[in-house]
This record gives sequence, structure tokens and C-alpha cells, in this order.
Amino acid sequence: MSIQFKTIKQLGKMLNNKEISHVELIQETFSLIKKNNHLNAFVTLNEQESLKKAEILDKSPSSSSLAGIPIAQKDLFCTKDLRTTCGSNMLSNFIPPYSATVIENLENAGCISVGKTNMDEFAMGSSNETSFYGNVQNPWGLNLVPGGSSGGSAAAVAAGIVPAASGTDTGGSIRQPASLCGITGLKPTYGRISRWGMIAFASSLDQAGPMARTAEDCALLLNEMCSHDEKDTTSLDEKIPDFTKNINSSIEGLKIGLVKEFDLSKLDTDVVKVFEESKKHYESLGAKFVEVSLPNISLSVPTYYVVAPAECSSNLSRFDGVKFGKRCENPKDLEELYIKTRSEGFGDEVKRRILIGSYVLSAGFYDAYYKKAQQVRRLIKNDFDSAFKNVDVIMSPTTRGAAFEAGSKGDDPIQMYLEDLFTIPANLAGLPAMSIPNGMIEKKPIGLQLIGNFLDESTLLRAAHNYQITTDWHLKTPEVMS
Amino acid sequence: MDKKTVATIAYLSRLSLNEKNEDKITDDLENIIKFVDQLNAAETDNIEPLASPLEKTAKTRPDKITAENRKEIFLERSPKSNEDYFLVPRVVE
Repeated sequence: MSIQFKTIKQLGKMLNNKEISHVELIQETFSLIKKNNHLNAFVTLNEQESLKKAEILDKSPSSSSLAGIPIAQKDLFCTKDLRTTCGSNMLSNFIPPYSATVIENLENAGCISVGKTNMDEFAMGSSNETSFYGNVQNPWGLNLVPGGSSGGSAAAVAAGIVPAASGTDTGGSIRQPASLCGITGLKPTYGRISRWGMIAFASSLDQAGPMARTAEDCALLLNEMCSHDEKDTTSLDEKIPDFTKNINSSIEGLKIGLVKEFDLSKLDTDVVKVFEESKKHYESLGAKFVEVSLPNISLSVPTYYVVAPAECSSNLSRFDGVKFGKRCENPKDLEELYIKTRSEGFGDEVKRRILIGSYVLSAGFYDAYYKKAQQVRRLIKNDFDSAFKNVDVIMSPTTRGAAFEAGSKGDDPIQMYLEDLFTIPANLAGLPAMSIPNGMIEKKPIGLQLIGNFLDESTLLRAAHNYQITTDWHLKTPEVMS
Repeated sequence: MDKKTVATIAYLSRLSLNEKNEDKITDDLENIIKFVDQLNAAETDNIEPLASPLEKTAKTRPDKITAENRKEIFLERSPKSNEDYFLVPRVVE
């Protein structure tokens, strides 16, 4: 029986009923990875170690919740003794001596990390075109981008190779590729999942999360990924609910906010049509729509492009060629070692963001840019706080359109930055948000975004699950190698 | 944004730009800065800056050593080291 396109829940059942052994499941996974090598979704494979773990599970069955489930890990999470590149030449030889807390959590729950997925370099990009390891192919069409930065994770799940993958989301890097690849992705509340062992891009925005075929699988993964971690000072010490518990409860009476300031008339009519149909569907499930106003929302993208580069320029200063990663050949002195290593190790987009960051943080400009952006960030957060007094979730399209062709955004960075128009606000405010497939445009999938109140992933998952048990957009699959 | 400013921030960032991409980077930065200048439209008098969505004081823990000393493995996986130190080109002659 094929394992392709199966959910975690389905694979768990197959393993329990002995329809497939753990070793067979892992062997089949690697066979799918290799047959779909042209997608370039993986940077490093973990085949021997994965088979070893599967053999152990076949010999002594485990009662762990995700025992034997293959998962692809974004190459941004440190994995002990397994190369971690973050999509960069800078870390092309980096083998971490420890694993990220979230990787440990998933592996302790029984997941088998089959490989590391391709991504935009240091998670800076929205199309996976900035990776040092080459573009990722969206399984839905030749030359289409998978989105980014978690593009390899999204492509691997969309092609049915693995039921789930980890991702990270700083400005939309889980939700935008989920939308463009037709899968389900969740960015939890900032602080829900430990950032320890995640290679930092913008520390006040970065958050890890699950990418899978269904909201139900995302809930299963989230149950294991969250933990309070003393090693991360921003890790939340809040009660972690069972995210699967109320997922089946009705959404009768759920109040869904529609943002007055999101001008959908500027989008393609197809995108608007898909969105309107989702509204009708939610109405048929008993949800009520309420208009909410987020007056400062239009300043989200400019705010982000001050805050994120500022934090990036500071975080990426650790890549100096001294302690880990690449070092240039024959530097004549220490300064040349730094400059040559960094100039050779980073790609253009990363350099661009470091430069913007250094500029907005430099003496004389700090107040005008960085402080100003942080003040606007508060206004945006205040807008959400007021809106959530009247609604349970806020709904919008995830992206401005379906997947675009590689190279089609030209070399104007701002055009690419605007890709994240709908997703960035949730990162600025630290709110949970997810993307679920809700339609097709010219045979390409597109997603619907649901933003939740602080710590209220449960309501998001319930709203998404109710949608998925009454629609089949998340069940559509591309034609890939089987 | 002129070439001199770009050269200064490149040096602050310890990055060297080659002549080929210097013009392009200067243009890009100019455009990005113009783009973020939209922030000037916001009225932010007396608004406290928000540095993180969690406005909580970081939790403290007892000052006890919890991590084991793994000097050897960190040194072994660095670009250049001896048994005690990371090695870099000589700084003091």
C-alpha cells in the first residue's frame, strides 16, 4: 500500500494495524525522496540513522504519540551530528554538536527526522530563490516557486513524500509556502515553541511551527513541539493545552473579523472569488462575519523591513569565520578574515538585509528608523488588541495570488517583500496564524489565512478543521513521481 | 544614499562589495529606505516602542551550572583550533 499523500493519522493507523512495518515506511519515504529529487526539496538526507531508528521500533514497539512518523526538518534547526546549512554557503560544513529543543521534542515523541529541507538563505526570501543550494521546484508546476522561506518543507509535504515538516515563520515563511503548495501550515503564538537551536534571523519575530496536510495533523505536531524551555528566555511559561481536544467542536456562532483596510479590489478577481466562496462556506457552518478596523496595518511591511533587518544584522554578526562554519582562505589579518569570510559566505539578499540593518541602527538614524518602527509596531499590536475584543479570529487571503514562476519578480526586492503583505502583521503582533488550502487558480493551489488571538491556537485549529471536514481543497494532490 | 554611505555601512557590517554590484546595492538600499520612509506618516508621539511581543521580564533561574563542558567538540568543529583555543591570524606582532 502506498504511503504517498498519507496523513500522520493515516500512517499511524497503518503502523498500528501492521499493514506496514516501521522499516518499510522509512524505506518507502527515501524511495519517494529519491524519485522526486528534481524538486530539490532536501539539502541533506539522514537515511542510515532513520533506518536504524525504524529497526528499533520494529523490534520494540513504542507507545509514543508519533512513533515512527517520518518528518522533514527545515535546515534552519540545529540537528545533532547532522549537517545544518540554513540554506547558506556560510554553513555548508556546519555539523551542530546539539539539537534544537523543538527537534528534541519531536524526536522524543517518536518522529524520525529523515532529512533537512532546502530554504531561502537564512530564511530571507519568499520564493526559495535565495538558497545557496538552488531553487526548490513547486510540485504543482514546472518552474513554479514553492514560496519561502520554508519552501523545501512545503514542497516535500505537497509532493506527498512526508506527512509533515517543520518550518519557521518570521514574516510568513510557513504560511506563504503552505498557500503556494496547497498544504496546511501554522505559525503559533510567539514564544510557544522554544527558539533554542533555531538559527536566528529576527529574534523578536521568529517562531517555529508545523506544516502538514491537515489541521488535525498540525494539532498533533503542535502538542509535541511546544514546551517551556529555560534555555530560551522568550519561551512562554503558559499552560499547553491538548490542541486536538476541541478540534471537532462546532464553530456555530464563531465571530470572524474581516479587515476593513485590506483592499481586496487590488487583487486578481480569481483570488477574490476564492476568498468570497470561503466566506460563504464559513457562513454555512454557522460563523458570523464582523468588520474590524486595523488602522495602521498598511504600515506593517515597512515596519517589518526596519525591524527584521536590524535584528538580522545583529544576529548574523556571529558568522565571523572563527568559531564555526566557513572561513576564507589565507586571510592576511583578522579583519580580512572577517570581511572575506562574510563576503564569500553570504548571498546577495542576506548582504542587502545586513546592510539595511546596519544603516537603520547606525548613529544618527536609530531614532528615525528603528525606534520609529518599534513605535509603529506597538500601534499595530494595539489595533489587533482592540479588534480581538469583538472577534474570535481574523480572516484574509494568505497570499496575493497563487505560485509564480521563478525569476518573474525581477530583481526589485520590494516586489518580493510585498508578497508577505497579509502574513507580516501576525509576526509583528506575536499572534498565532495559519494557512489552509481554500481553492485553485489555474490549477494552482491557494490558501486562506486565519489569525487568532494571543495563545488561542485551539480556536484557529477548530476553525480550520471544521472547514477541512466539509471541503476537499486540502485533499488535492499534484502529479508527481510515485 | 550615496556610494560613500554604502561603503561606510558595508565596512560596519564587515562586508566588501565588488564594483560590479556596488551600483545595484546602492540603488536597492535607496529604494528600500524610501519605501520604509512611509513610517513617517504614523503619529507616534508618546508611543512606547515595542521591542518584543512578549512584554515580560525574562524569568530568572538559580545560578547553577547546568551545561556540561564540551570544549573539545566545539574546538574540533571550528575552522581552526589547537587544544585550547580558536586560532586566528596573529593580532599583536
